[in-house]
Amino acid sequence: MNSLGDSAKSPEIFHRHEAKLAGLLFVMGLALAVAAPRFFSPVNLALLARSMGVLLIVSVGMLNVILSGGIDVSAGAILAVVSIVLVRLGNHGLTPSAVLPLGLLTGAALGGVNATLIAELRIPPIVATLGTAGLFRGLLLEWTQGEWESSIPAWLNTIGSPRWGGLDASILAAALVMLAAGWILHRTQTGRAIFRYGDSPLAAARTGISPRQPIYFAYISLGLLAAIGAVFSAAQLGAVQGNAANGYELTVIAAVVLGGADILGGRGSLLGTFLGVLLLCSLQQGLVLLHVATYWQSIATGVIVLLGVVLSAAPRLRRTLLFQPSASR
Amino acid sequence: MNSTSASSLEPSVNSAPKFAAHAAVVLSENLQPVVVAILVFAFCIYAGYRSGDFWSALNWQLLVQPLAEAGLVSLGMMFVIATGGIDLSVGSIIGVAAVTAGVAAHRNLPFYAIELTALASGLLCGAFNGVLIGVFRLSAILVTLGSMILFSGIALAISNGNSFAGFPDSVLWWNDATPLGVPVEFVLFLGIAAISAVLLRYSLWGHYVIAVGSNRVAARYSGYPVALTLFGVYTLQGLLCGMTGILLVARLASARADLGQGLMLMAIAAVVLGGAPIAGGAASVIATVAGVAAFYIVQDGLLLLDVPPFVQRALTSVLLLVAVAVGILLRGGRGDRQ
Repeated sequence: MNSLGDSAKSPEIFHRHEAKLAGLLFVMGLALAVAAPRFFSPVNLALLARSMGVLLIVSVGMLNVILSGGIDVSAGAILAVVSIVLVRLGNHGLTPSAVLPLGLLTGAALGGVNATLIAELRIPPIVATLGTAGLFRGLLLEWTQGEWESSIPAWLNTIGSPRWGGLDASILAAALVMLAAGWILHRTQTGRAIFRYGDSPLAAARTGISPRQPIYFAYISLGLLAAIGAVFSAAQLGAVQGNAANGYELTVIAAVVLGGADILGGRGSLLGTFLGVLLLCSLQQGLVLLHVATYWQSIATGVIVLLGVVLSAAPRLRRTLLFQPSASR
Repeated sequence: MNSTSASSLEPSVNSAPKFAAHAAVVLSENLQPVVVAILVFAFCIYAGYRSGDFWSALNWQLLVQPLAEAGLVSLGMMFVIATGGIDLSVGSIIGVAAVTAGVAAHRNLPFYAIELTALASGLLCGAFNGVLIGVFRLSAILVTLGSMILFSGIALAISNGNSFAGFPDSVLWWNDATPLGVPVEFVLFLGIAAISAVLLRYSLWGHYVIAVGSNRVAARYSGYPVALTLFGVYTLQGLLCGMTGILLVARLASARADLGQGLMLMAIAAVVLGGAPIAGGAASVIATVAGVAAFYIVQDGLLLLDVPPFVQRALTSVLLLVAVAVGILLRGGRGDRQ
C-alpha cells in the first residue's frame, strides 16, 4: 500500500497500529454484544453508519492535512459557513444544480485562503487556521446574526432522508471520497508529494518537490470535503445555525489521530482513519444504547483518544526510551 | 518568497546583505511586540478620539478584569509553547476548577478551602497532562486533545450540567476589591507576570524550558531534566487555570462546566501575537502581556466604536494574522513549521 520505501519499518508499524485498533474495536464489540445486544440490530447498525458519514468525509480531508505535516482548526467554521450558504441560497429559490457547486466552491475557496496563508506568507498552520477560524466564524455570525435557519430546501431534505434500509447518501459519498483519496494518495504525484513533504519538508525540497503543491492540495481538499460534509450535515439535521459545528474540528482531529496518523506528518493511512471514525462513532452509539449520561460519553471519548495516542506512540516510545532521537523530528 | 531550504542551497554572493538580514533577524525577534504595541497605541488614540468613554477609569477597570483571566492562562501557555508544546485542555481545566469550587461552596466550606479546592483540581489536571507528556513522552497536542475531552466530561459529571451559585462574599472579593482603583484581579495578574518573568529569566528551570523547546534531543544529551521540566510546565499551566477558574467564578458569581470555553484559543493567539515562535525555544513575559492586552484593548475599543460583536471577533482574528505575517516577513520569510 505504501510503496514510498522511505523507511523499511513504517508499513509494519502502520499494520501494527491498525491491528491494535481492530483489536480495540473487537473488544468493544464483545462488550457491547453482552451489555447492549441491540447494538448489532440492523436498525442500529444503519444508524451507526449514518452517523459516520459526515465525520468520515471531513476526516479524510483532515488526514490529508495531517499527512502534510499541518493541522487545520478552521474545518468546523468552514463547514458552518458552507451549510449556511447552501441553505440561504436554496431558500432563495436557486436550483440544486447551482447551489451545490457554489457551496463546494465556497468550501474550496476558504481552504484556499488557509493554504495561501500557510504556503505564501509561511504562517505556521495552527496559527493561520486559528486566525481564519475566528475570521470565518465572526463574519458568518455577523451575516446570520446568530439566528437559526430552521427551514431547509426540500431537495436538501431529500438528500438527508434515509433510504436503502436506513442508510442515506452520506455513506455512498463517504465511500467515494475514500476511494478517490486512496487513489490520489497512493497513485499520483500529488499524493507522493504530500507524504514526502510531511515526512521532511527539507528532504522534499531537495528532491525537487515544491511545498506549494502538497499544502494547496491538503487544505483545499479539506475545505472541499468540509463542504461536502456540510451538505449532508445540513440535510440530516434539517436546520442550520452560525454556531454549528463549533469545535467539530477537534473531533475530526481526534478521529484521525486515533487512526494512527502521526501529528508530525508523513505517516498515516485511510484504513486507520476509517477505523478511528468507526471506533469513535460506535463508542458514542453504544453509550447512548446503554442509557448513560452524556458526560460519560465525553469521559469515554477522552479516554479512548488518550488510549489511541498511547497505542500509536508505543513503538516510538520504545525507541525513545532506548535513547535514540526520533527520525521524524 | 523563496523557501528556507531553497535559499540555503543558494551560494552566498555577498556578505553585506547577509549581515543586514542577520541584523534584521535579531531586531525582529523583539520587533513584533513593539509593532503590536505601537499599533494598539495608535488604535487607543483613535478610539479615544471617537468615543469619550474610552479613557474613562470605569472602562479600564472593566477591561482589565477579563484581561487578567486570559492573561494568567496566556502566561502558562507561554511556558508550554516555549517548550515546543501546546495545551488544548486549558478551557476544560478551568471548567473542572470552577465546578469543584462550586461543590466546595455548596458544602459551606470556608473561602480558603474553596479556593484551595479549585487550585488543587487545576494542579491535578495539569499534572495528569504533565506525566503523559513529560514522563511518557507523548505528543502534547494529542494528549491535551484527549484530556480536553476527558476533563470537560469530568467537569460535566461533577456539576451534572448545572451551574453553581451562592458563593460567599469572601470569594467574590476577587471581583469586588479595587485597591487604589485598580481591580485586585489585575494586581494578581501583574504579580504572577512578574514572578513568571523572574522564573523565565533567572531560574534554572526557565533555562531548561527554553533549552527543551530549542532542541529537545540536545537538552536530553546535555543531561537536562527534560521530563521534569515538561511536567513542571504543564502542572504550572494547570495551577494557573485553577486560579483563572476562581477569578471567573468571582466575576460571574456562578460556576459552570463550560466556563473556560474560548480562553484556549485566546491564550494561544496572545502568545503568538507577542511574537513567540509556535515551535518553541523562545518566550518573553512582556511580549505575552502585550499580546493579551492588545486583544482585550482592541476588543473593548471596537465595542465602544459600536462595531458589531461578531465583526469584532473577525477583526481580532485579522489582527492576529496580520501581526504574525508581518513578524514572519520581518524575519525574512522564516516561518516555522507547525
